[in-house]
Amino acid sequence: MQDEKIKNDVKSIFFEVFPKLSENEFAWGKEQKNYDNWDSFAQLNIITFAESKFDVSFSLDESIEIKSANDLLKCISSHLK
Amino acid sequence: MNIIDLLRDNAKKYPSKIGFIDEKKQITFQEMLDHVEKFSSSELLKKKNQIISLILENSIDCIIAYLGIINSGKIVHIIPPNISKKNFINQINSSKPNAIICSDKNWSNFLDFNNKDILIHTNKEIISKSTIQKKNQDINKIAYLIYTSGTTSEPKGAPISHEMIEFTTKNIVKVLGYSKDDIDLTPLPLYHSFGLGCLHTSIYVGSTFVLLKNSNNLENILNSLKKYNVTTLAVVPATLTKFLRLKKQYLEEKFSNIRLIITNSTSIPKDTVNDFKAIIKNRKLATYYGLTEASRSTFMVFNENSKLDESVGKPAPGVKIKIKKFDEKLEIGEILIQGKNVIKNYWDNSINDKNLENGWLQTSDVGYLDNDKNLFLVGRNDDIINIGGEKVIPNEIEEIIKQIPEIEDVVAFGIDNEIFGKTIKVNIIKKKNSNLDKIKILSYCLKNLEKFKIPSKIEFVDKIPKNEYGKVKRSMLK
Repeated sequence: MQDEKIKNDVKSIFFEVFPKLSENEFAWGKEQKNYDNWDSFAQLNIITFAESKFDVSFSLDESIEIKSANDLLKCISSHLK
Repeated sequence: MNIIDLLRDNAKKYPSKIGFIDEKKQITFQEMLDHVEKFSSSELLKKKNQIISLILENSIDCIIAYLGIINSGKIVHIIPPNISKKNFINQINSSKPNAIICSDKNWSNFLDFNNKDILIHTNKEIISKSTIQKKNQDINKIAYLIYTSGTTSEPKGAPISHEMIEFTTKNIVKVLGYSKDDIDLTPLPLYHSFGLGCLHTSIYVGSTFVLLKNSNNLENILNSLKKYNVTTLAVVPATLTKFLRLKKQYLEEKFSNIRLIITNSTSIPKDTVNDFKAIIKNRKLATYYGLTEASRSTFMVFNENSKLDESVGKPAPGVKIKIKKFDEKLEIGEILIQGKNVIKNYWDNSINDKNLENGWLQTSDVGYLDNDKNLFLVGRNDDIINIGGEKVIPNEIEEIIKQIPEIEDVVAFGIDNEIFGKTIKVNIIKKKNSNLDKIKILSYCLKNLEKFKIPSKIEFVDKIPKNEYGKVKRSMLK
């Protein structure tokens, strides 16, 4: 149940940062290069949202390594363990 | 005419008129002139010296000392009483005064100042050892020296000439219509250009100058309006905003005799302008924009055109303003000022003199002019945050976040970031009992700002550091 909530929250971050993203276009494994607007600033926005939502702080290496929703989910989960 | 000639003129025309009131006493123009002449006849001021530092606080005694030093032909170096030790030493090393004068109250604060070549005197001590010698002194071209906060550790001394004072004061009187019948109240510190300009204005027209000590004592200000039948009030925008927490009817009664409220420094919040226009109705609410180096460069008398409520107005008579655009595509840029109100150079400071080119002062303030030459302030050049090459003015972020109803106050500033160089942090004061969370703020920002302007950090705080003018002390946030 808890995992499900985290997943929903992570997903909601992607819909916030990419407002034109539709439900059909979202996929956990979809990579940065396949998003239209996932540039360095969008990356910063994703990190900021995630840090605020889950009250965690990512290292620079972690921030750079996040290239999909799945990566973000894994990173957050490792912090919440 | 210099400020001493004007005082002499007032003493001649209205010798028994009350010219100066503080929280302890009131004196006539003739009494003020006598005190000033006595002060400038003191042994200390007879010596061949050029600069006297004055730790100036709001009182009639300090006005006497200020005018007395000028009347003796010396330059007054004005020091705020609350100055830090570090800045005090910096200013003294830069101004190189021959003596320092302060009140009894401040005497002990500066006792450990270890320089046997510069003696510290109290103004009472000087008065007690003087006898009046009425003679016209040769007045120095420079009236006073005042230091402004710079972005570097280098102290920025602005020497203000009598010519500049006369030019600026004439503009104040012309635009705002001061007259000898006015009773002018201010709780502003005299160690800043705004408060000092108010003193000069009252002396220029021969009105009565009421000086209070503390801008935060709202009750004292409001009671004094009625007590002295005050007609003009000079306060900072933050004081006006604080007044608005009181009941409208109460304020209407207190301000019933006021014909003019003048404020300054920063743009007044739009709501404050609107609400105060409703309180004082068809009487004047005005603001100006200026720096110590270029006092009263614009004036704005608010009227029914609410589109101009956020403007600081048009250039003052004889003053030119232009915008050095950051980018040809943008209207926004650094504000440049030229006119007789602008200093010729900084005090012994060749680095900052580079900000003065062909009489144009580069202000480091950022703004734009509309088609009718109304100036709008946006922020400070030094405050601009460079995020991976994208320039962001903090003011824009703050304005958007302030639109969220649960927010009391916000400040945006740059923080170091390993990838972008800088990113934006915002410190936010929430309204009482608000459940606002960071995600709501970020969502609002994403909907209303470009991606690079979204804050990377949000902190809820209880207080945002501000100076007595209500300006955010951004240096304390960095």
